[in-house]
Amino acid sequence: MPTPDLFPVRLSLEVAGLALALVLPVGVVLAWLQAHRRLAFRTAVDALILLPLVLPPSVVGYLLVIVLGREGPLGRALEALFDLRLIFTPAAAVLAAAIVALPLLVKTVQPAIEAVPAELEDVGRTLGLSPLFLFLRVTLPSSWRGMLAGVVLAFARALGEFGATLMFAGDIPKRTETMPLAIYAAYQVGNDRAAMFYVAVLVALSLLVVLLAARLSPRGLRT
Amino acid sequence: MTIPVLEAEFSLQAEEFALQVNLRLESGVLVLFGPSGSGKTLTLQALAGLRRPGSGHIRLFGQALLDVEARIEVPSHRRRIGYVPQHDSLFPFTDVQHNVRFGLTRARRRSERDSVPDLMERLGIAHLARSRPGSLSGGERRRVALARALAVQPRLLLLDEPFAGIDRPGRERLRAVLMEMLRERRVPTVVVTHDREEALQMGDRLVPYTRGATGQAREPGEVLASEAAHDMEGV
Repeated sequence: MPTPDLFPVRLSLEVAGLALALVLPVGVVLAWLQAHRRLAFRTAVDALILLPLVLPPSVVGYLLVIVLGREGPLGRALEALFDLRLIFTPAAAVLAAAIVALPLLVKTVQPAIEAVPAELEDVGRTLGLSPLFLFLRVTLPSSWRGMLAGVVLAFARALGEFGATLMFAGDIPKRTETMPLAIYAAYQVGNDRAAMFYVAVLVALSLLVVLLAARLSPRGLRT
Repeated sequence: MTIPVLEAEFSLQAEEFALQVNLRLESGVLVLFGPSGSGKTLTLQALAGLRRPGSGHIRLFGQALLDVEARIEVPSHRRRIGYVPQHDSLFPFTDVQHNVRFGLTRARRRSERDSVPDLMERLGIAHLARSRPGSLSGGERRRVALARALAVQPRLLLLDEPFAGIDRPGRERLRAVLMEMLRERRVPTVVVTHDREEALQMGDRLVPYTRGATGQAREPGEVLASEAAHDMEGV
């Protein structure tokens, strides 16, 4: 019996890792801005951040195709300017995963930042810390558990992304076929052995993630 | 004419009232005295640059830290004003020693004339250098917070109820040490208190606060005597 193809496992980990690297700086900055009420249209921005969490992934995927596909305005611009085509590439899978992971990251990191006592930050400021150093030396060490919980959850969400990836990156074996896509593909052709293998890997990884997040989170996720 | 240490005249819209402040400190210790909720803490926060007044100006040794009309606002981290809030806010993720050194730049931390060990010795916290803030008593925490604010050699020190929550003997000891250090180091200080005895013992000048407004600055004894007389009439 042939051993299951390990390519989807590797691709999934790479896609989720890159998506996280993409979403982490953006997400933490957004969470910080929201926590400190620094944005105009705060509620509107909040709604926009949450949208990918609420929308069906197929809608997110469809929107990505419309905007970044070969006929989309941004897709055309990228192709004309940089000879870059995103759709049906592993990069597209990364982008799809990043977009659905963002709300989970922001919504976990924001309360962690909000929970840092204002007086700690006040004292840090009067001790001469500029905003950037205040974040690195006071906010981050005071809230790293919550932040890490957000990172872990975002990684898990990116790892499990299916709908948006299928529409925007397609299911191309050995190219864009992540584990969730490989499960569906294997199931369709009756390859239970392969499906079971990816299912087991994903269940194990997800379990690990949930346990880790529960341990890190001071409250909320802990039962 | 000498330049005063601090001149502040500003108004600030708080949630419950509009704060109107008019302060002047020539040297030594200025006490802001009044009941809680009269805007004393807000005043300190505005001086430190943590709250933004709607109008007015703040000058420290003649330098404008804030001038709303001229659109000048020196950010908090560039003011070199030490601030010890009422609720000690030691950084819980590091030990006492690192708390005290928190505001020192790397160059200062390495320099020969490192005053931190002496500072910690004087404040009686040298033996706690490696302790975590969570394991300290209220009085010890306050001493660490004071050491941390003094370590950066602030141009002005702001203390919010510095002895609240410490028992009487401990309070008197700490007050004596602190006053001595402030005199030696010539750190001009603004102290918030609602305690008469503390106001009398610490202040060179006293500004009475009533709900949201400052009164005329006078000798502490004068103000408290007239207040006492006023209270007597009320009885």
